[in-house]
Amino acid sequence: MAKLSLILTLAGKDWRLFWADRRAAVLSFVVPILLASAFGLIFDRPSHADSQVKLPLLIVVEGDSPFVRQVVADLEGCSRIETQVVSREEADRRLEDRRPGVAVVIPAGFEQFAERPTLEIRHHPLCAMEAQWAEGVVTEVVMKRYAADRLGPLVGTLALQPPFETHAVAVGGPETRFNSYSHSFCGMTIQYLLFWGMESGLLLLRERRRGVWQRLRAGPVPFSTVLIGKAFATAGIALLQALTTFAFGYLAFGVTVGPSVVGFLVMAFVVCLFAAAIGLLVAAVGGTESRARSVSVLAILGLSMLGGLWLPTFLLPGWLRDVSLSLPTTWAMRGLEGATWQGRDFLGTLPSVAAVLGFTALFLTVAWWKLAAAEKREHRGLTI
Amino acid sequence: MPLPVAIRLENVCAKYAAVRAVEGVSLSVHRGEIVGLIGPNGSGKSTTLRLAAGLLDPVAGTVEVDGLARESDPLRYARRVGYVPQDADLYDELTAEQNLEFFARLYGLRGFELDAGVYRGLARAKLVDRANDRVRTFSGGMRQRLSIAVALLHDPAVLLLDEPTAALDPASRDALFADLHKLRDEGHAILLTTHHLDEAESGCDRIALLERGRLVAEGSPGELMRTKSSGRPVLFGHLSEPLAKFVERRARLRLGPGVELEITGRRVRLSAWGSDDLGRALAVLLSEGAKLDAFRTPAGRLETNAKAA
Repeated sequence: MAKLSLILTLAGKDWRLFWADRRAAVLSFVVPILLASAFGLIFDRPSHADSQVKLPLLIVVEGDSPFVRQVVADLEGCSRIETQVVSREEADRRLEDRRPGVAVVIPAGFEQFAERPTLEIRHHPLCAMEAQWAEGVVTEVVMKRYAADRLGPLVGTLALQPPFETHAVAVGGPETRFNSYSHSFCGMTIQYLLFWGMESGLLLLRERRRGVWQRLRAGPVPFSTVLIGKAFATAGIALLQALTTFAFGYLAFGVTVGPSVVGFLVMAFVVCLFAAAIGLLVAAVGGTESRARSVSVLAILGLSMLGGLWLPTFLLPGWLRDVSLSLPTTWAMRGLEGATWQGRDFLGTLPSVAAVLGFTALFLTVAWWKLAAAEKREHRGLTI
Repeated sequence: MPLPVAIRLENVCAKYAAVRAVEGVSLSVHRGEIVGLIGPNGSGKSTTLRLAAGLLDPVAGTVEVDGLARESDPLRYARRVGYVPQDADLYDELTAEQNLEFFARLYGLRGFELDAGVYRGLARAKLVDRANDRVRTFSGGMRQRLSIAVALLHDPAVLLLDEPTAALDPASRDALFADLHKLRDEGHAILLTTHHLDEAESGCDRIALLERGRLVAEGSPGELMRTKSSGRPVLFGHLSEPLAKFVERRARLRLGPGVELEITGRRVRLSAWGSDDLGRALAVLLSEGAKLDAFRTPAGRLETNAKAA
């Protein structure tokens, strides 16, 4: 009981220190919201059901036959592309600037199919994917016009429709409610919590160099209690930041939680504990403050990128996706996404909870061991 | 009849890495007594204080407060000691009241006891009207008073102060010693470190002189001046302006063998094998252009406004 009271006293001190600079404290809530909103906005795409995304495409027309004119008219009428007819020179100039990234050149004599004319797809080096997309759309339009042209007026264009229909279905859980904000709020929240953990660790490093730390250590408080108090404060503030960020996401962008609110809260709390473990680890192995900051920033950015906090991990190469399974951020992201837009129930989030808890325990053990050893060395005069 | 011993260091040795910082120091401080540890930089003053505060484990010897060794019960030991680190370091971002409340809670004060302790601390630090001001807005004297008030929250038997006057002007220094005398009269045992012989002489009941980690002299200021028990006469002085490094080097080169010169900021400490050597060394120092505001001779006489010879 007395120990719990001491822990609360120490955590209360850190809570007061956190709020001592009110502007900085408020910013620590605003920044993750801004980051998540910005990422969500950048990657926001309307869903398939709402409207189709149109590929901007330049058309260079070098022939002037009726067939070519019809193909151009068909391309301009296609609902999946947004076309503009330009000269070859202008097309090349705009491709260099990626305005847009793809152009199709319809050559003179294109209608003379016996000579197998070449339809050139020109693209910016970074727009190979868009070029493939354009190739597919243009091929479909030309083939339809070619068939109608060859089979004659007796066969209407309706008969040239494929003998089947396609229907796109998003698969991600029983009741997925994905929007780009759902992903960015999960990712940016985790990333910011890791940075908060780092900041807390740097604070501990700074505090240990001050005389007030000597005063604290001369007091009747076991070293373990000081560490627990620090972890408690870090995790508590982190939880408040996480809940505030998600509350904003819910109100402003429709980021949903559930069906298990308990599952979400447990997952969020575990991620906050992990942030606290990161803080102690930074203080334990960081050495000097500036060294600790540089190494931590690098590590957190790496963990964020590979853990899928910025972009979904399916965009990573296969071997990197396998590697990312050994990272705590991957599991934290899976857990939070599961508990939010993927609609997993409480049991569904448990594997992620267990994985992140495992990493937390590992990090805490290393940090504890290193800090306790440093404290002993200091008591023995081996370090000053 | 003297009051009981509050803190006892018995043949204590301590080291930092392979370097011996304190060697065989034995010292007792009674309740109702102020003992000043003096000596040049690196003589082991702060290390001795850290040993007494339980922040450093001795490699040999024992440290006890009210008969309790730290290793037997570290937490009870800590409750008997109030420690004021150098620079009166506190949580600058918190208010005076919040600092007092935090440390009071650490020492187990709750409820009425807590409120009373915090108020007493504010009153003791003469900061009742600045209770809600952040510590970073305080002057050196205010910080020092608050720092001592924090250390006294749990009414410890022993108060340890590491260079409490380092950042204070003469008026604040006098006020601080007036407060320390009051605490002494209340029965606290006070052990402090200082560079200033004059301060130790006027403010402390006993002085312990440390040199290179060894206790070379101990006694009342009067006794110490009379016996010069270190065997080497020592002169402490105060420069009217800081000495340029090249002047300091030149002076050192001209000093005779066995003469030691130490200059820390504007403080000068000169020691030699005999009084004649010391006199010659002083003459060398002055001839190099050093101007001393004041210095204390081995005989204990205060000289002022010394000019270049």
